[in-house]
Amino acid sequence: MSEAHYFFPPAAAYPLNRFLFALKSDGAARARYAADAGATLREFGLDEAARAALATFDRDRLVGLGAHPYLVFMAQVRLSMEREPATFEYF
Amino acid sequence: MPVVAAFALPHTPQLLVRPPTEDRALVLRVHAALAEVKRRLTAARPDVIALIGGDHIEGFFLNAVPALAVYVGARAAGEFGRYRYAFDVHEPLARALVEQGIEAGFDLAYSQDVPLDYAFYVPLHFAMPAPAVPIVPLYVNVYLPPQPTPARCYGWGRALRSIVDARPERVALVASGGLSHFPGTDRYASPDFDFDRALLASLAEGRGADTARLTGEELDKAGNVELRTWITLLGALGAARAEVLAYEPSWHHGNAVVAWPV
Repeated sequence: MSEAHYFFPPAAAYPLNRFLFALKSDGAARARYAADAGATLREFGLDEAARAALATFDRDRLVGLGAHPYLVFMAQVRLSMEREPATFEYF
Repeated sequence: MPVVAAFALPHTPQLLVRPPTEDRALVLRVHAALAEVKRRLTAARPDVIALIGGDHIEGFFLNAVPALAVYVGARAAGEFGRYRYAFDVHEPLARALVEQGIEAGFDLAYSQDVPLDYAFYVPLHFAMPAPAVPIVPLYVNVYLPPQPTPARCYGWGRALRSIVDARPERVALVASGGLSHFPGTDRYASPDFDFDRALLASLAEGRGADTARLTGEELDKAGNVELRTWITLLGALGAARAEVLAYEPSWHHGNAVVAWPV
C-alpha cells in the first residue's frame, strides 16, 4: 500500500515524537518551551533538522522527519489554546 | 444481565472547546443529539457505562502500544483546557472484562494509571446520565500502526457481549469516535463523507457484520481509523439496526450520533 496517513513512527523520530507528545500533554513542558525554547529542545535531544522545523511549526517538514501527524496537530491545538484563550468557546 | 443501551458518539474536541473556525450552529445541533442520548441513557438506568474509545496518544505513547486494553484503576482522570474530569471506574466489571477476555483468547493489556483521553470525557461531558454512573474505559489502538484489524475488533466485541451478558450489572455500551476525519494530514479539509453515508445506510439495515471485513488500509484511506471502536461495538450488537440520531459533516469531520435497540 502507499504510505498511510497514519504511518509507522520511525525509531529515529522518537525524540521528536516524544517532544510533540510533551507539548500536547504536559502543561509544564509547554511553559518551559515558551520560557526558553532552546534549552527545552536541547533537553529533549532534538537535532538541527527537528529544531528548524519546530521553529516555524511546519507540519509537512515535521511529518517528513517522521513526526506522527496527529501529535503535530494536537500539539498545535494545545499551544494555540494557551496563546489565544479568548478565541475559544467553552461548553 | 443484558446490555441496556448502545450508542456510538463523536468526541471531536471542537464540540467541547469551540475555536472560531467551527460553525457554532452545527456544534449546537450535535450537542442537541448528545442531549437526546443523555435522556435515553438516563432512562435506561445503567449501573455502568463500558466506553470503547481510541487513545489519541494520550494514555499510551511509544513506550508501549497496546492493541486492546482495559483501564482497571479506581478513578479515571483527564484534563482539557480549563476542564478537569475524574470518573469512578467500575472495578468489578473492568476486572471481569480483562480476566475473562484473556480467558477467551484476547491478549488484553490493562492499566491502573493512564490519563484519560478526550475520546472518553468529551462524550461523557454531554451524555453522562443523571445521576452519574461509573465507567469502564476500553481502549482500542487507532492511531499508532499496526492497529488491530477490523476482524479482531469485531471478535473482541462479540466476546465482550458474552462476558457482559453473564454479569449482574446493567451495562450501557458506548463507542466513541469518527466518523471521517484526517487530523494533522493534508486531507484535513476533505473528509470522506461518501464513505460515512454509505456506512450509516448499511448500519441502518443491520449490516454491522460487514465492517469486520474492512481492511486497515480502507479505514486509513477513508479517514476512519477510529471506526475500530464502532466495529468493536458492532461485534457486541450483531444484526441490530442502527438509528442515526444525527449526521453533521463539518468542514473537517463527520459527526455521527447513532443509537441501537438492545
